[in-house]
Amino acid sequence: MIRFENVGLRYSLGPEVLRDVDFHLVRGSFHFLTGASGAGKTSLLRLLLMSLRPSRGLIHLFGQNCADLPSPERADLRRRIGIVFQDFRLLDHLTTWENVALPLRVFGKSEASYSEDVTDLLKWVGLGDRMTAYPEVLSGGEKQRAAIARAVIGKPELLLADEPTGNVDPNMANRLLRLFIELNRLGTSVIIATHDFQLMEQCDAPRMVLNEGHLEIK
Amino acid sequence: MKDIWKLNNIKDLPGRSLEAVKTSSWVAVIRGLVNRNARATSSPIVQPASVAGRALTVVIAIMCFLACLTAGAVYMVNQSANDWFADIASEVTVQVIPGEASEFEKKVTLVSLFLAKQAGILRVSPLSSEESGELLKPWLGDTDALSALPVPRLIAVEIDRASPPDLTDIRRALGSNFKGVTLDDHRRWQSELRTVTRSLVLGGIAVLILVGSATVASIVSATKSAMASNREIIEVLHFVGARERFIAHEFEKHFLNIGIRAGLVGALGATLMFLLLPVVMRVLSGGGLVAAEFKQLVGTAVLDWPGYILFGVVVVVVASLCMLTSRYGVYRILKSHD
Repeated sequence: MIRFENVGLRYSLGPEVLRDVDFHLVRGSFHFLTGASGAGKTSLLRLLLMSLRPSRGLIHLFGQNCADLPSPERADLRRRIGIVFQDFRLLDHLTTWENVALPLRVFGKSEASYSEDVTDLLKWVGLGDRMTAYPEVLSGGEKQRAAIARAVIGKPELLLADEPTGNVDPNMANRLLRLFIELNRLGTSVIIATHDFQLMEQCDAPRMVLNEGHLEIK
Repeated sequence: MKDIWKLNNIKDLPGRSLEAVKTSSWVAVIRGLVNRNARATSSPIVQPASVAGRALTVVIAIMCFLACLTAGAVYMVNQSANDWFADIASEVTVQVIPGEASEFEKKVTLVSLFLAKQAGILRVSPLSSEESGELLKPWLGDTDALSALPVPRLIAVEIDRASPPDLTDIRRALGSNFKGVTLDDHRRWQSELRTVTRSLVLGGIAVLILVGSATVASIVSATKSAMASNREIIEVLHFVGARERFIAHEFEKHFLNIGIRAGLVGALGATLMFLLLPVVMRVLSGGGLVAAEFKQLVGTAVLDWPGYILFGVVVVVVASLCMLTSRYGVYRILKSHD
């Protein structure tokens, strides 16, 4: 499903932040991506999301070489990926409901076709009474759950989460982890970037450890 | 993949249990309607009102107003100049120098009759002594001294522009048949006036180009600023799988809307200015020489309908500029991510 071959990444003329990254993840896998701050976790997620191009090496996503893909097809591949940003990236002028529905709206679906799903999902993540609230009045945990709901509403084949529990208390972090595990059971491949060891200890999943730009899977 | 939120095998999750969420179909319909009403319709993807957007609206409205004013003024002067030349080209003036008082009126009549018989002349209108005096009033004022002056009598001759008469022959015939009668075909005037009006129109076009350039620069700059404030929206749309064309289209719609609304406000302001201009001219000049000269220059100061269409063109250009700049901005931001 995901294959990295000798991938290297440098920003402009700076040093390589990722070096000779080589791995293969199968469909339905669950991984933690960890490493010290600045180790390149977010850069690796951005490579997976095709928002960066590698300086060298090859990246295959869903069986396709990302380097050769024209822009519309890259967008189509992104539709198969859900992303939870560290800073949520909810749009302030849209309500919680509209933020969660955004991917489906972008995919060109009619509101009638997804209205009920969005409402049910928001209730399911505990935001049933916050559907008409704007992000600025949501708490950190609520924003996090809205961001996760937005990432999963399109039923992605791959879910990327960048520090998804960074802004919530341990109890909520535990609940969100259960959500990711359940998504994984339903067939979604999950990669969670985190340096929260407490969180990783709660789940017996392989760890992709980044150290000075090199990746090791433990 | 199944809808995870439609399963009930996950315990200890926030929110209500899925059993509580599940409802019968008719209840779901009512719930959907209630939710829809609560949300009303979906908000536009691009934020409709932002500080940068409001600033852009103000800039566009002001620049569009200035561009319309300049375009209207240049158009008006150009039209007046064209009307002027058309009038001058279709009319010649015969001047009868006063001689013997008893013979003067008879001489004017004879000259008029002679002119009326010539081929290519449509109408001969001799001015009365009062009308000739009226022409001098703006310069000499309303004085009784006018009656004591030997004011030449003018005969306005309208010529057929389709088959004009031979003015050289008429001039020669007038000179040989009548003493003290001259024909002025306004050629010297036409030449001088053409130079003056062309200079005015060219000056106006230069100002129009300057205002147009300033408008383009201001709008492009303000649109870029507004686009920068929308960077996050573009990035989020990109990351959730929106195609470039979709994102560009959303922003084009938004900025075209701003451009049209603000442009119309500017054009409406300019329209009001031009509608009020004749009234303002009358009030400010109060008649006399200034009013007469200004009227000569710009005609009645009334903009005709093609002039107002010009405002529409300005609005279209301004709105298109906003739209194209926003499209360029979207692709520039997306390029940094692809």
